[in-house]
Amino acid sequence: MKPVKKTLLLLFIAFVAIQFIQPDRNESGRDLETDISRMGILPGSIGLILKNACYDCHSNNTVYPWYMNIQPMGWMMAKHIKEGKAELNFSEFGSYSSRRQTSKFTGIANSIKNDIMPIASYTWMHKNARLSDDEKIMIINWAQQAKESLSEKN
Amino acid sequence: MKSIIIGLAIATVSFTACNSNDQKSANDHVGMHTDSTTMHQHTDTTSATANAGVSIKEILTGYLQLKNALTTDNSKGAAAAGTALEATFKNYDKTVLSAEQKKLFEDIEADAREHAEHIGANAGNLAHQRVHFEMLSKDMVDLLKAFGSSGQTVYKDFCPMYNDNKGAFWISETKDIKNPYLGKAMPTCGTMKEEIK
Repeated sequence: MKPVKKTLLLLFIAFVAIQFIQPDRNESGRDLETDISRMGILPGSIGLILKNACYDCHSNNTVYPWYMNIQPMGWMMAKHIKEGKAELNFSEFGSYSSRRQTSKFTGIANSIKNDIMPIASYTWMHKNARLSDDEKIMIINWAQQAKESLSEKN
Repeated sequence: MKSIIIGLAIATVSFTACNSNDQKSANDHVGMHTDSTTMHQHTDTTSATANAGVSIKEILTGYLQLKNALTTDNSKGAAAAGTALEATFKNYDKTVLSAEQKKLFEDIEADAREHAEHIGANAGNLAHQRVHFEMLSKDMVDLLKAFGSSGQTVYKDFCPMYNDNKGAFWISETKDIKNPYLGKAMPTCGTMKEEIK
């Protein structure tokens, strides 16, 4: 066998081998009591945007596109989910202290405003996470309102 | 040829290793959260204050270092101070606190640590650091309200211009205004609102 062929074959074997290392899936399968949608502060229109664009990394339920079963793509996504949930988890938002909820609303508004979120290293592969300018403004306004109503309550 | 095989082997192994390391560090993190109250030995040399019988001197000192870095637009210095402050919070000995104090402290701590961590991770991005500094300052005001200022006189200052003229507070150890939100652009903008002893 020619060296080039041999290399390609080895690459292929390595590719097949890594398919057996599947990351844990982020699918609790349940609609949690602590989900932000249960708090009465999330209008349906905003909820839809969040579910569609943000929940894959910022909740306990990811909707996986088929190609995420292929490694190393799945690994990359698992890393995004792990980091995303550590930062902000909409499924557990209700369990945050009101102090942290206030901070998170500020963070949501700011990271959208400054284009930190949705993160570019994710949106290039995941079209559903891209936000239109209108959607961005909707989220920013909502986060600011929610924050103000929260601080009025306390 | 041999080197290609070895290269591939290393690549595959290290990918796998990365993965399992990630999981390990995540577990460590969880462990740290639950253990921090009991595991860490505290070496606070300052005596407890008369105010609430609780010293937050190290936290206050760490916060002021961070604040001072921001007044001179020193993003790297702010990042280092942020990381240090996060550690100070983490290692704080909560065993001296009553159940009620502990609850209050942990509420503030959970939020403040996140902000300190973000400031630490964002060297080079002053705007982002300042957003978190504003929220951290709010935590700091509440912490001082609850536990006193550990014998140090500090001042609650207000900058009316920051954040689209919504304004923001900060804590300072000097009577003179040195604005951490606007930095060198407007160093003396702001007014002292309250003296905290």
